[in-house]
Amino acid sequence: MDSHLPEHIVTATDVHRHFGEGDAAVHALDGISVDFPRGCFTAIMGPSGSGKSTLMHVLAGLDRPTSGSVVVDGVEISDLDDKQLTELRRDKVGFVFQFFNLLPVLTAEENIRLPLSIAGRKADPELMAKLVDAVDLGDRLSHRPAELSGGQQQRVAVARALISQPAVVFADEPTGNLDSGTSEEVLALLRRAVDEFGQTVVMVTHDANAAAIADRVLVLVDGRIVRDAEAGSAERVHDLLKQDTVA
Amino acid sequence: MTSVALRNLLARKARTLLTSLAVVLGVMMVSGTYILTDTIDQSFGNIFEQSNAGIDAVVSAKETVETDDNQESPFSADILDRVQGVEGVEAADGGIFDTQVSILDKDGEPIGGNGAPSFGASVVADRFDALSYPEGRKPAADDEVVIDKQTAGRAGYEVGDRVRVAGKEDATAYELVGVATLGDVDSFGGASIALFTLDEIRRVTRKEGEFDQISVAAAPGVSPEELTRRLDEALPASVEAQTGQEDTQAQKDDVGEFISILKTAMLIFSGVSLFVAAFLIFNTFSITVAQRTREFSMLRTIGASRRQLVRTVVFEAAAIGLLASVLGLLAGIGFAPAINALFHALEIDLPNEGSVVATRTIVLAFALGIGLTVLASLIPALRITRVPPVTGLREGAVLETPKSHRLRSALATGLTAIGAVSMLLGVFGALSPGELWIGVGAAAVFFGVALLSPRLVGPMAALVGRPLERFRGVSGRLARENAVRNPGRTASTAAALMIGLALVSFVAIFASGLSSSITAAFDKTVKADLILTNTDGFSDISAGVTGAVADVDGVEVASPTRFAQANTAGDEGGYLTLVDTDTVGSVMTLDWEEGDDAVLAGLGKTDAVIDEKWGREKGLSVGDDFKAETSSGKTLSYTVRGTFVDRADFNGDYVASDVTAAAYGEPNSLQQVLLSLEDGADTGAVRKDIDALVADRYPTVEPKDKGEFGDFISGEVNQLLGVVYALLALAVIVSLFGIVNTLALSIHERTRELGLIRAVGMSRRQVRRIIRYEAVITALIGAVLGSVLGVLFALIMSRPLADEGFALSIPVGTLIFLLILAIVAGVIAAIGPARRASRLDVLDALAYE
Repeated sequence: MDSHLPEHIVTATDVHRHFGEGDAAVHALDGISVDFPRGCFTAIMGPSGSGKSTLMHVLAGLDRPTSGSVVVDGVEISDLDDKQLTELRRDKVGFVFQFFNLLPVLTAEENIRLPLSIAGRKADPELMAKLVDAVDLGDRLSHRPAELSGGQQQRVAVARALISQPAVVFADEPTGNLDSGTSEEVLALLRRAVDEFGQTVVMVTHDANAAAIADRVLVLVDGRIVRDAEAGSAERVHDLLKQDTVA
Repeated sequence: MTSVALRNLLARKARTLLTSLAVVLGVMMVSGTYILTDTIDQSFGNIFEQSNAGIDAVVSAKETVETDDNQESPFSADILDRVQGVEGVEAADGGIFDTQVSILDKDGEPIGGNGAPSFGASVVADRFDALSYPEGRKPAADDEVVIDKQTAGRAGYEVGDRVRVAGKEDATAYELVGVATLGDVDSFGGASIALFTLDEIRRVTRKEGEFDQISVAAAPGVSPEELTRRLDEALPASVEAQTGQEDTQAQKDDVGEFISILKTAMLIFSGVSLFVAAFLIFNTFSITVAQRTREFSMLRTIGASRRQLVRTVVFEAAAIGLLASVLGLLAGIGFAPAINALFHALEIDLPNEGSVVATRTIVLAFALGIGLTVLASLIPALRITRVPPVTGLREGAVLETPKSHRLRSALATGLTAIGAVSMLLGVFGALSPGELWIGVGAAAVFFGVALLSPRLVGPMAALVGRPLERFRGVSGRLARENAVRNPGRTASTAAALMIGLALVSFVAIFASGLSSSITAAFDKTVKADLILTNTDGFSDISAGVTGAVADVDGVEVASPTRFAQANTAGDEGGYLTLVDTDTVGSVMTLDWEEGDDAVLAGLGKTDAVIDEKWGREKGLSVGDDFKAETSSGKTLSYTVRGTFVDRADFNGDYVASDVTAAAYGEPNSLQQVLLSLEDGADTGAVRKDIDALVADRYPTVEPKDKGEFGDFISGEVNQLLGVVYALLALAVIVSLFGIVNTLALSIHERTRELGLIRAVGMSRRQVRRIIRYEAVITALIGAVLGSVLGVLFALIMSRPLADEGFALSIPVGTLIFLLILAIVAGVIAAIGPARRASRLDVLDALAYE
């Protein structure tokens, strides 16, 4: 596409997001400016109500900022209309949600291909093969989600997010519903996406162990970024969170 | 718990309204039918009461044969003298009241010439005259006429105009000297009436020296009953006296019979709509109960009993039913005129002044509306009792009913088979009343197929959905998968549409078969080049027509045919045909079983050839004797000389010579003149001469060649078909509400899925497409099942006619049209739900619980 690749895949500048009006207004995001570099795995953390999910929604074009600018892959998205946003999500963004990532009526393989089917495109066979291999479903590819375990379902969801080779993958508590063993498989898959495919990943989580797998950790409190640091180990992530609560 | 139910309804206003709409339409049809027929009944009652005001007793010919046209036989005018001689008679006057006198419009066409009754009457003494004359006066001379105000208005006649009237004699022009109304009633119920001097109406109707009835007033102190008794004692047995009230009642009963046929037909269609509505309520409650599993199990955990839960659902149903009944009843009041407009289309003009909403109508509307809704909600309601309190609370718990599929299939197959057999037995008369068993059988087949159809949904969705999938990719695929996701739900939604479409296609198939077999039979037996009938196809034409057209150059033979009624071998009002034996051979033949055309031409006064079917019923064969009691009170004896097959029932029970026409009360009228032209005659020129002749002298007569006659018959059939379609359309509309409702509920259920596909990049348009295709798939399943059942029903219903050559032809065009209609219907039904689905906010949908 672009000859000069922007260094930052996603850039937010002074983003505010208010809910409600007047005294009852809630400032979910209160002046956030942040960059997400290409090929970086970022974890967004913070206590409940800190605005981390809202930030992800705004960055992904699922929600509009009240003010401020969000640029995704060189496109200013805060003034796109619904149709353009839909295309943005289809072509440039991949999603992994906590629950309900898959359409129950489609097989695992069809679910992986879904974003391309919607766009009316064919999957790159090489990429598909790689993803299928990475998802490690074996002969369950033709099964429907109901016949898969929670971990398997989330791995399919990750593959689904990667198939269109988006500029960025947003993951919203992808392991929130899983036990620690299966969580690790899913996180490992996201890690591989970054390391092997050069994918940019932004993950919202409240689990320090999950965040530890990222390259960078952002901590939000009351709609502001209070920490922006390298992730390192789970202990370090815990420390980052603690510092914050102490402060 | 009651308040829970009410809150639920209020919280889901749209769904409540949508669910109730189906019932509203059904109740509307039932109450509309009753309101209309009650109104017609009352309006006729008013007319008859008005016209008999001031009359204590009526003397008329004793009716031995109940005929369709209700024309009473005339009797000798001498009777009037004898009436006046009876003690206690203060005054009496005789009159003519003939049902076959047509007023012509300014173009020379009979007014209301397609079956609306047209009367010719004599002026009677003032004290018996029920008419008022808002303009002009009564006719005083033989060249004067008075017509009713409504007809004058319709034709644009004003007092002083020349008005032509046609009866049994040549059409004659009169001076319009006044217009009449019936007391305070403006309408004669669509009928037209022409009033003449006694002499003139006798001439026009060929009733010289006769009366149709005598009106009698009692002297003071003599009761109508006493008067009637004395009259009956004094008068010959050929006439009878009735009190004015009895006569009014008899007239009411006559129209009552006709109205009750209309009522029954209307109620059958209403029943279909209600049946479809019941399906929808069942479906809606099944879905909503399933969706509220968690709510119900929560209520269970906090101590609600099963019975309370069932009561909650049933109460909701009752509330919906109540709402629907009220709306339906109100809609019915508005619907009654709409049905009346439909009758108009059928050229049945009926009086209806105001709207009669009887208590019975109200009670029935509520009983049906509430009863049906509650009944349809019972199974879904009972299903919640199976929810264990805890499982329902689990994430994503869905109330599934994995009943024994084998049992269900067996039940469904059994029900379908029993239904089909019941229809067959009903059709062949093994079970009676046949109509009832046919109806019950059809309902059983519908239920059976509806129960079976969940199994058909998969393959049929594949059949219908595969092309969509191929051309529309993932939208088509998802639509198909969504349709089969809950086969029971799709099936019962489709089943509702299936019922309407099955009946539509059955009617189409059956009617086209009927129409073509009538035409075939007609082609086979009628040899005439031209057929002359009344413009309406069945009313009397003057006996003078035969002689007049026979004289036209190029006409070889003009053969008069009379279709009369008599009590034939014990059958009340059986139909028969009287032919002119000298000429009949050149214009018609019969499909002989025993005998030939020579037998027909050689029929003597006491000979008859009979319909072999009737003969079998009566145990009559060649050489046997039977008796016929005619409307003049005479009994004729016949010997069977031959038998014929009459699959279209053109000729009634038997064919005999018309030398006895007078005995049948038909000396001056006939129903058809069949013409054959001379070899080499210029058909066009002859036709022109005949057209000119009838326009001048017999304007109620219409000549048709064989092709035109065939068109006329199929035109009549099509007109009836149109009305039937219009009535069935309501059932189809009801089922469309069902598709809308099911889609809306399914979308509600799939909110998160919709959020997800929007999040991963599906456009609003693609979402709308999914919903639309889903609706189309459902509709097509209904249409395919419906068409197949329609063909099946046509096969069953035509069985008795099959051995008589009923040609069952499948109108492929109509069936294809139905399929297209179903697609369009699906698209329309999907508009609302699709829009709603596409406008879901992605984030809200994802966060939805």
